[in-house]
Amino acid sequence: MKVSLFSTCLSDILFADVAKNTLEILERLGCTVDYPMGQTCCGQPAYNSGYLKEAKQSMKQMMKAFQDSEYIVGPSGSCISMLKEYPHVFAGDPEWEQEAKTFASKCYEITEFLVDVLKVTDVGSTFKGKVTFHSSCHMKRLLGVKEQPKILLNNVEGVELVTLPNEEDCCGFGGTFAVKNAAISQEMVSEKSRHVSETEAEYLVGADMGCLMNIGGRMSREGKNVKIVHITEILNTH
Amino acid sequence: MSVKIGEIPYKERIQNGIKDDFMRQAVSSAQGRFRNGRLTQAEALGNWEDWRQLGSEIRAHTMENLDFYLHQLSEQVARRGGNVFFAQTAEEANEYVKNIIKNKEAKKVVKAKSMVTEEIGLNNALEEAGAEVVESDLGEWILQLDEDPPSHIVTPALHKNKQQIRETFSKKKGYQGSDTPEELAAFAREQLRQDFLAADVGITGCNFAIAESGSITLVTNEGNAEMVTSLPDTVITVMGMERIVPTWEEMEVLVSLLTRAAVGQKLTSYITAITGAKGPEEVDGPEEFHLVVVDNGRSKILGTEFQSALHCIRCAACINACPVYRHIGGHAYNSIYPGPIGAVITPLLEGYDDHKELPYASTLCAACTEACPVKIPLHEHLVRHRQIIVEREKKAPMAEKLMMKGFEQWSSHPSLYNLSAKLAKPALGPWVKDEEIENGPGPLKEWTDVRNFSVPQGQSFRDWFKQRQKDGESNGNKES
Amino acid sequence: MVSQMAIKNREAFLDKLAATLGRERRIEGVERPEWSVTPQYEVFKDKTQDQLVEILAEHCRVIHTDFKRTDRKGLVSVLQETIDEFAGKSIIMSNDTRHEEYGINEFFKAAEDRLDVHVWNPALGKKNQEIAESADVGLVFSDVTLAESGTVTLFNHKDNGRSISLLPKTFIAIIPKSTLVARMTQAAAHIHNMQEQGEDVPSYVSFITGPSNSADIEMNLIVGVHGPVKATYIVVD
Repeated sequence: MKVSLFSTCLSDILFADVAKNTLEILERLGCTVDYPMGQTCCGQPAYNSGYLKEAKQSMKQMMKAFQDSEYIVGPSGSCISMLKEYPHVFAGDPEWEQEAKTFASKCYEITEFLVDVLKVTDVGSTFKGKVTFHSSCHMKRLLGVKEQPKILLNNVEGVELVTLPNEEDCCGFGGTFAVKNAAISQEMVSEKSRHVSETEAEYLVGADMGCLMNIGGRMSREGKNVKIVHITEILNTH
Repeated sequence: MSVKIGEIPYKERIQNGIKDDFMRQAVSSAQGRFRNGRLTQAEALGNWEDWRQLGSEIRAHTMENLDFYLHQLSEQVARRGGNVFFAQTAEEANEYVKNIIKNKEAKKVVKAKSMVTEEIGLNNALEEAGAEVVESDLGEWILQLDEDPPSHIVTPALHKNKQQIRETFSKKKGYQGSDTPEELAAFAREQLRQDFLAADVGITGCNFAIAESGSITLVTNEGNAEMVTSLPDTVITVMGMERIVPTWEEMEVLVSLLTRAAVGQKLTSYITAITGAKGPEEVDGPEEFHLVVVDNGRSKILGTEFQSALHCIRCAACINACPVYRHIGGHAYNSIYPGPIGAVITPLLEGYDDHKELPYASTLCAACTEACPVKIPLHEHLVRHRQIIVEREKKAPMAEKLMMKGFEQWSSHPSLYNLSAKLAKPALGPWVKDEEIENGPGPLKEWTDVRNFSVPQGQSFRDWFKQRQKDGESNGNKES
Repeated sequence: MVSQMAIKNREAFLDKLAATLGRERRIEGVERPEWSVTPQYEVFKDKTQDQLVEILAEHCRVIHTDFKRTDRKGLVSVLQETIDEFAGKSIIMSNDTRHEEYGINEFFKAAEDRLDVHVWNPALGKKNQEIAESADVGLVFSDVTLAESGTVTLFNHKDNGRSISLLPKTFIAIIPKSTLVARMTQAAAHIHNMQEQGEDVPSYVSFITGPSNSADIEMNLIVGVHGPVKATYIVVD
């Protein structure tokens, strides 16, 4: 199966291991993976801040970059949910509407792709430790991907998965919210940090680096030594 | 009062909320209970998504035909001996009600809980007309005695603790009992019973008006709306123009959604439908019934991309699901409609000047949208507001505009993007210690005031990928 | 005096709404569409009357309401027992032929020396409210009973004042088994059909679910606020 990797700008620039792990998992499961170099950002920072015109420029760039792709797979529920919004954003635009629909229909979050498309629920990895999972809001609510990451985690040898209390709550990241409403964001992420501590897990696992760098950054500031890992790291550990 | 409740600036309101430990504890525990209640009820039904779908279809159809259904409603109310007044503005509504009070020479007015009368500031108008106004919902009564605005649309006094309530009762009503909720409530029962019996006029809001029969449905647990509509000789119902359904069959569906979504009950203790004035020989009920249909800015929402905001049935499920509300409480929104729905409708009703921060008081986590029993896409409306603030209202800060211009260039030009992928980490170098930044420069400052910023070592993914392909390890992947 | 039965300011108001909706005013011809889903008809669809009684009984626990079941023969003794539990001395009830039919009039007549029973009488006007206000027990017959939510539906009229179920300290509803339906859907359909057939809906329809309550003080559930503080349902087979 031919897959185009969408690294997300965050993983590309700051957290390259997330994209590497995604790539390696896909290859290990027999996919032929390419990485279109024209890709940039899904546009969410501008879109969610109300800068529609600016957002559309990056969205068009993304559609151009991936126009030959069959499947577009990325390690972020939030970024993928943004890609899935393109048809809505370009509705009524004669030039881009159809393009956006085609594009969106090819996009998958990595755990969603593994479970729903490749029909793989056990990636054959081993990871020893007590982990808790933060399900990101956009992934579960906008993309509707809820169970897939847990199914995969539960099948990793050595993983002890414990439920995060108030799992449904947002971590307080929200893109520019974290700086625009820093005071509220601080309360939200502190609460999330408390809940993570309650689980006594060694690892906090998530499928979105945005949330993880928020929660991880806060826990690090609080001097807590919970390790933050993207789910692809666990799925790519043998 | 209007939709807006005060003049305290946004940042200060947020701080006031965050510092109020009791309020936050109360809100947090209430949210937990409400949420569990809603989820338990949804699960009991098994097909909650079908119910939500039906609810949204009913609301959409009704809004699309709002003129028709309001016409039908008014005909039916009149046929059953009631009067109907259509008020475009708060002033018109207040003036009409005031005239009734004056003509009746009413001394005492009892009210059942109603958000729309808060919105239009009816109580002030009634007092101007010389009547004593008594709020009869326990929570509203507490707030009225304490001259405090509501902080939640279902449990308005959520932010008050029992010690504060006891103090209010004792200061304003000479209460001498303890602060146990039972005793406080028993005192309220005894006090308000006298008010019900002595009232000349009763005023209610409206959960759902039923167009086919001209009936007004009221949903309560305390039974106060029943008192207000049964005992006084004159009853006035004030309704937001969108609070209407075609027939009893749709009323039933929406009430089922409302009580489940609001308080996790299958039905509340009292659901009452009153139709017109009382019939011949009937003892209970009003001799004279008035229905006041209020626009007050709602028609500005109709026919726009925000139309579904009018589908709201005021259940507060979005408020109870909102993590932002949990930390800042209702008053931080500076609107009688707090939480996500408040952040959506407040700027629509009163404009952006005083409320431009509200659409940003959300992480767009969509917990609100998921909770809404009539499927209002609340978080999408918040994004829409932000677009308007940026593009039409031009109220966005200059620094942000510049940043977004930069974003546009960066994200639509792969060459610029590539460059940044190379330079980002080296540029941050001076601030990085052990792969983390604790005191970030420029836009990172707000971030690192609260939490560390992680900067793992190593090159960007794309540089690594290019290298990997060059090294011939790419298992035949073709160059992109 | 405000003139009776006036509709004011309607045309300009509704014209404006039609204009914002971008079309002509609609005064007739609007039909409800066929909804894509109708989950309300699925709830307890195949339950028998006896199963509905069980569901009602179960839900009474949730709504802080005592549930009793008897047959016509046993009714008066169950009623007596319930009134005793409520320490009831004064009772107010509707003027309903079912009281005769179910032997309740006879029972109250026999208990005349112990119980002060008032039957709602429109000729007495507001006096009825005063009596209700000081009564220990309000006694009603349920017109339609909703199993799912434990709700008694009352069609109030001149012989069945709203105050009966509202003002007394306690509330007893006699529920003939035949009045049980699955949920509010059936009651609403009944009223809708009434309206469709040109019959006026009662000026007051009450759906009462247990005693009054409030959670307005620190989210503590307080049973008994403005309406009755206790409630008992008696299902009669």
